[in-house]
Amino acid sequence: MAKKKLSKIGRYKIIGELGRGAMGIVYRAEDPNLDRVVALKTILLSDDAEGRKDYHKRFFLEAKAAGKLTHPHIVTTYDFGEEEDFAFLAMELLEGTELRTRMKEGPLDIAEAVDIAQQVADGLGFAHERGVVHRDIKPGNIMILPRGQAKIMDFGIARMRSDDFKTSTGIVMGTPRFMSPEQVAGEPVDQRSDIFSLGVVLYEMITGTALFAGEDTPQIAHNVTSVEHTPPSRLNPDVPSMLDFAVARALKKDPAVRYQDAYEFAVDLRTCLAELRSRETAGKKGEKEGTRTVKIDSTTNRAPLAPAARSIASDTQLPLSKQFDSFAAVQRLNAPHRRDRKLLQLPRPVGFLRRVSVDAGPRLLFLSSLVAAAAGLYVALG
Amino acid sequence: MALVTNGATTALASVVFLKMHEFPRRPVTEQARLRAQLEAAVAITAAELDPASRIVLDAADGAAVVVLGDPLGALRLAERSLFAAAAGLPLAIGINHGAVQLAGAGRGDEGLAGDGIAVAANVAEFAVPSALLVSRSFRDALADVQPGLETQMLSAGSFTDAGLRTHEIFAPDHRVPRRRHRRYLAASIAAAILLVGAGVGARIQAEGQEKFLSAVAAKYRDTTAQGRSYWRDLMSKVKF
Repeated sequence: MAKKKLSKIGRYKIIGELGRGAMGIVYRAEDPNLDRVVALKTILLSDDAEGRKDYHKRFFLEAKAAGKLTHPHIVTTYDFGEEEDFAFLAMELLEGTELRTRMKEGPLDIAEAVDIAQQVADGLGFAHERGVVHRDIKPGNIMILPRGQAKIMDFGIARMRSDDFKTSTGIVMGTPRFMSPEQVAGEPVDQRSDIFSLGVVLYEMITGTALFAGEDTPQIAHNVTSVEHTPPSRLNPDVPSMLDFAVARALKKDPAVRYQDAYEFAVDLRTCLAELRSRETAGKKGEKEGTRTVKIDSTTNRAPLAPAARSIASDTQLPLSKQFDSFAAVQRLNAPHRRDRKLLQLPRPVGFLRRVSVDAGPRLLFLSSLVAAAAGLYVALG
Repeated sequence: MALVTNGATTALASVVFLKMHEFPRRPVTEQARLRAQLEAAVAITAAELDPASRIVLDAADGAAVVVLGDPLGALRLAERSLFAAAAGLPLAIGINHGAVQLAGAGRGDEGLAGDGIAVAANVAEFAVPSALLVSRSFRDALADVQPGLETQMLSAGSFTDAGLRTHEIFAPDHRVPRRRHRRYLAASIAAAILLVGAGVGARIQAEGQEKFLSAVAAKYRDTTAQGRSYWRDLMSKVKF
């Protein structure tokens, strides 16, 4: 397909090439019936007849489901079909920048990142309500339009790829860095998997770091399933505490304690966005009036959060709280003084003498017995 | 017992783990509110402690306060924090006395690690909201600083954590000191009666009942005739 110069696919007239991926080529094409320019995504089909039949069935099912999704934050699918050895999808043509490209250009402003994430969460919520799970939420599948509108691309495509496009060694092609733990483990996935993936995207946007980066796929898969994330506020002090909590909830390894609904995630992100914008406004107002804004909000530069109680093993650590000054005690622990000998000793068992000299009850019994014994002796001896 | 591991001193300290019940399942707005409320509660309760004796640590679902050399202070802090539960903070508290060690490479990731923290977290995990549980080692530490206080900690059973370690746990009961005092008072009176009675018995056996009673009556008369109280006189002789 790549070598053959195509001029037409189905009824679509090819105008030019927009990009190439693992699955096929994306063309700019024109729909002569509606005189509309579309993005035509081609997907290479399997050579195996049996596999192709299966694929065919699934492709039409998924494409139909995706075609029903008309939402401001989802790229609209207009049409789909099959031609020779590839299938194609005619989609809304967007003039914008992929989030992946935008992230490479430099760090995103936190408010901008949260805004993008809440738009994507809204789009996902809409799709999930209709029973469609994306399965491949990643920066490469999010398009940012010039006015800041975010759109999710490639709904329904991921499943086709993950099932059909495998390497000779049997490894699933894709981006495990953004997959949910259940997806990496090959378990059935639902809408919560998309929420996890969006959590990873948001994390990377606000921290500028690759969350589950690894040298190879098994390493990444291990990180996704086992490694707890460092709270974003630790890497970017401007991250408000509520955003920390929202990200933590989206990134729960256990889907049961994750956000169950993308709309719920979107609502929390909107609250974070409101906080961030009010902070920005306060900052601007301060500048305008010639005053200096001093951040006293405890949510800024806040302490890193540690693993939950149940996951603390003896070899893990809890970070010092930045809300409290523990310097004096840390110094004392670091270099114990002579008087701190007790800090290095196990509690002593309480012996008889110490017990009767300090403990009120036994002391009363002991002394009264002693006095009574003396009285008894006095009486006995006359 | 002075333990030095990889250059970092390991000390024994009381760890109060304040865990917010069902924290991960709560809406994020509520999480933020609860976190702020917990920080306020810790600020108030920890203010009673010497700053050189307490280290506050953050946990994802709560906080831990490491108290150096003051198990009584740790217990007070935990009990005062429980009052916060009345203000809508769903706290479950676990206290342990165990090893803690400074950790982190000094790049803003400083913290404390150790079994002392891990066990406190496990105990807190086991506690129900508005409840305080302590480990056996904390009970022993209390006994060491104030013998008798440990009896306030009544056995609440044992549990096995995710690492298959069994922990014996205790719950405070403030009615215990009064009950214990009454028991010791009764035992003291019984012992006194028994010992004085034994002396009287021995005297009667040696002299006979009539002689003994007449001797006591004569002494009683003598002392009262001298304007003194017989019983007071008897007590002053007994007091050496």
